[in-house]
Amino acid sequence: MAIEISREIGSGTVEQRMVYESGNEMAAYAAHQINYHIMGYFPISPSTEVAQFLDLMKTSGQHDIVLIPADGEHGSAGVCYGASTAGGRVFNATSANGYLYMIEQMPVQSGTRFPMVLNLVCRSVSGPLNIHGDHSDLYFALNTGWPILMCRDPQAVYDMNIMAIKLAEDPEVRLPVIVSFDGYFTSHQKRRVQTFAHRADVLKFVGANPPEGYPDVLDRNNPITVGPYMNEPDYINNCYQQSVAMYNAEQVFDRIRKEYFELTGRDYPILDLYRMEDAEVAVFLMNSSSEIIKDVVDQLREKGIKAGSIAPNMIRPFPQKQIVEALKNIKAVTIGDRADSYGGYGGNMTNEIKAALFTHGNHDTMVISRVYGLGGKDFYAEDGHALFQLAIDAVAKGSVEVPFDYYGHTKGASGKAPQRVVNPLKYEEVNTGLITVTQDENTGKLNVKMPPLRALTKKPKRIAPGHGACPGCGIFSGLELFFKGIEGDIVSLFHTGCAMVVTTGYPYSAHKATYIHNLFQNGAATLSGVVEMFWERKRRGELDKYNLKDDFTFVMITGDGGMDIGMGPAIGAALRNHKMIILEYENEGYMNTGAQLSYSTPLGHRTSTSNVGKHQGGKMFHHKDTAQIMAATNIPYVFTGSEANAQDLVKKAAKAQWYAQHHGMVYGKILITCPLNWLSEDKDGSSIIGAAVDSCFFPLYEIENGVTTITYNPEDKNKRIPLGDWLKMMGKTRHMVKPEYAEMLKSFDEEVDRRWVRLKARHENEYL
Amino acid sequence: MARLPKQNELGFFEIRLESIGGLGANLAGKMLAEAGVVGAGFNGVSFSSYGSEKKGSPVKAHIRFCDINTNIRDTTPVERPHVVGIFHEALSKTINVVSGIYEDSLVLVNSTKSPEELKDKLKMTGGTIAVIDAIGISLEEENRVNMAMLGALFRLCDFLDPQTMKDVIRKSLEKKYPQAVDPALRTFERGYQEVKFQTFALPEGVSLKEFKRLDAPTLGYDTQPMGGTITNPGNSILKDLSISRAGMMPHFHEDSCIHCANCDNVCPDFCFVWDEQPDKRGKPQMFLQGIDYQYCKGCLKCVVACPTDALSSERETDGYHEEHRTPHRFNLAVNS
Repeated sequence: MAIEISREIGSGTVEQRMVYESGNEMAAYAAHQINYHIMGYFPISPSTEVAQFLDLMKTSGQHDIVLIPADGEHGSAGVCYGASTAGGRVFNATSANGYLYMIEQMPVQSGTRFPMVLNLVCRSVSGPLNIHGDHSDLYFALNTGWPILMCRDPQAVYDMNIMAIKLAEDPEVRLPVIVSFDGYFTSHQKRRVQTFAHRADVLKFVGANPPEGYPDVLDRNNPITVGPYMNEPDYINNCYQQSVAMYNAEQVFDRIRKEYFELTGRDYPILDLYRMEDAEVAVFLMNSSSEIIKDVVDQLREKGIKAGSIAPNMIRPFPQKQIVEALKNIKAVTIGDRADSYGGYGGNMTNEIKAALFTHGNHDTMVISRVYGLGGKDFYAEDGHALFQLAIDAVAKGSVEVPFDYYGHTKGASGKAPQRVVNPLKYEEVNTGLITVTQDENTGKLNVKMPPLRALTKKPKRIAPGHGACPGCGIFSGLELFFKGIEGDIVSLFHTGCAMVVTTGYPYSAHKATYIHNLFQNGAATLSGVVEMFWERKRRGELDKYNLKDDFTFVMITGDGGMDIGMGPAIGAALRNHKMIILEYENEGYMNTGAQLSYSTPLGHRTSTSNVGKHQGGKMFHHKDTAQIMAATNIPYVFTGSEANAQDLVKKAAKAQWYAQHHGMVYGKILITCPLNWLSEDKDGSSIIGAAVDSCFFPLYEIENGVTTITYNPEDKNKRIPLGDWLKMMGKTRHMVKPEYAEMLKSFDEEVDRRWVRLKARHENEYL
Repeated sequence: MARLPKQNELGFFEIRLESIGGLGANLAGKMLAEAGVVGAGFNGVSFSSYGSEKKGSPVKAHIRFCDINTNIRDTTPVERPHVVGIFHEALSKTINVVSGIYEDSLVLVNSTKSPEELKDKLKMTGGTIAVIDAIGISLEEENRVNMAMLGALFRLCDFLDPQTMKDVIRKSLEKKYPQAVDPALRTFERGYQEVKFQTFALPEGVSLKEFKRLDAPTLGYDTQPMGGTITNPGNSILKDLSISRAGMMPHFHEDSCIHCANCDNVCPDFCFVWDEQPDKRGKPQMFLQGIDYQYCKGCLKCVVACPTDALSSERETDGYHEEHRTPHRFNLAVNS
């Protein structure tokens, strides 16, 4: 966190302190001052930093919030819901597809009336993946029954967060509340922000503890039943109560913001109106872009045009009356929606404002609707002028020429349509015949015949150079080494993650063979759909036209993050035993979103959500043994591998292909380096992985039809090294070899050894 | 109270830093912004450009300063900088790093070249170029490039107090890394002292090209295949990733090569070019031909993997890439 300075501005009565921080930092700062009980979270850009900052503050003992890394956003919403029924204060932050993944829980929480605060750091919800700011996630929130507060800058993020909990807990409201701000534009830009200088003043405002007298599952003297089975005729009455509470939120917020103004000198009326008193044309925008439009208003006013702008500080409940009042003398208003409601002739704000005007008898104000700024497209002052011009033109003409359209989209020059750059791989090139796999008739074991790795350089790589991974990234050497063992054609599916992002930055793709992306909670299910469609279309003779020389090998590529949030579908696909391979590249964290801990991160390792400091020494629990979890589904083949043992990995790839073609699902895990987030030298990748193998942290083995074989045993050749020798090679673990972490290292060592000894026992006994 | 030397029509003094991920430009920008806002009492905003934030990829940091009472309402990137700080000289190969400068803007480059040479390389018609050998200084002081750049940037932004920055550097390092305090301060100070300036007047009758925003993509809704599907995959080969190298590169010495493929097995960027040729006994065998430097990011994993002296780690010099590149022989599609 940045340096704090004590300079004061403003007319409030409470002592304040200036900080220079971003929106995400301010959400975290407010949360730490409120000292919430629980935050259940799952990383997604651009909201992830909120949990990171809280974790960092926790290492220096600045708050007591219990930070719970969930298995996905759905899980995080569950953690938060459960925690809120248990009487304490609950906080979360998410974005985009993460929000949609938890959305099933949102009406549950509002419908059963348990308050909490969720920061929705707005980002595009999409396929083709876009991680930048727009309001498409926010628009999905409109029907969930949560009051929604809006923030135009980091100052508002702080202020709204302090007010939100008070609104949520108010007796007349009792609803979970969303605080919404724009991804990157607000979440990542640093600004001067005034804060309460003392936590005591924050708690005096919001209440030191949540109000009592409401359902609390931990009150043993008053047992309650939360969430009954409720059909008609009762259900509609529950909804009615909720509707009344939602509308109450408007007056309650109005009361709270006045109290807040007294204290801080900062006011958040329901609508933020700028030069609207005598305005004739107006633009309605939300959050970050509603600020630069004020500069545009000033510029137009200098030219004698009576311009004004409207931005809401709250959109649920929708401030219908205030908007109608603000527009009563406006001749034409352009409404910019930063998300479409496809097919609705306008985004949600357009249609709600039109409904407001109609309801209150305003038939005169002309409304122009434009969808703008999607997927983080910058909104410049020039764009603001263009939106105003639409209103000015409508006034001049007396009518709206194009009521609804997009703004900022481009046609593209016809001569520049994409053309093939490289020819598709020839079947003969990828089917080299250099590797053969045969099954021993007597033992049923597979024999792999393969040449020295030198000969395999003849086989073209499946991925083209020109991808944007970091220097020294272990993913691509690992993947291509695996693919060296695969003969013939592949269809791959990549989960969201570094490998996906750096190979498919539009309009480029580094995948020579056909590739699909799906979000990382669902890749295994998605690929199983592809696999079954292949077999069914093949059976129906529909693939004859392609003259396929052989069946495809279907490979899903995932990081360890995808095997956390996507564990359920992976197990589902394994239990159904589809003919496909899941290959996990594990780099011990969610590296694509900024190095947060994954369940595979080992004990004590430093990540951005398991920081190292006085009050916390890295990750608090042991690493997940994904290979053993997958083995428990009884699929035909499970393996581990590494680029440090190249021959071993290529051989396993060949076996994997054989099993995936003949029997069913294969799961393999390769450990790979992430020099950026392991804080290690780029060049040392293979050596570090080699040390992880030799320390028995990452044993190389395979499980064929339930029978375990250790394929490389460092003890046999006297090569086993202490864990510390591996850990000291990386900046993220160097602290673990210091005396003050001796106990943690011991615990890690014991766990690694326990797993290794059990593995050896399995190796020795085929029935284990 | 410090005063800003220049302001645009909205009252801002604007700075843009151009770098690749991993050189610390983001942190330098953050520290510079804090020195202005927290130290000198300006109002300000700072942020980095985001995408997939990978090491070695181009990044920009943006800073705006204004008077304390000026409203900051703009969230868009700095397009017309008063100061540009170029952390990585090679960027100019693929990016117009001086885009949008004014005639009196200051352009700072981390380089060993002379201002004249840089003026040509950056295709500048005129303006002030400041040069600092930040890599050289950081190697000598065993500290980071961004500290030397930060020192030089303070010299360019003379409305900021370098002493404040030094205090911040000391304060932020002394608890955790006390041994790093002095090298960091020395690196900063040398950056501040050793930066050299040269101003080039615009030639008679020549004016700077008017700034034009180029944010329209090549493809559009008429030409983009439905659903975002990429119909020409493998086209990443058109990209030049050599700017990701931060100073080091592998050299290939064919004489010592035993063609074991260890380098090929560990290379994340598929830079090694092979060809099938008859071996001594006339049998077809794979032989390493060289390195396609267009894709090499300089990680040097291959040098570690090499069991002989066939690959060595070297400082990159101008022109080596072009002279010694062994291009991949892709099976290119013929497009009319």
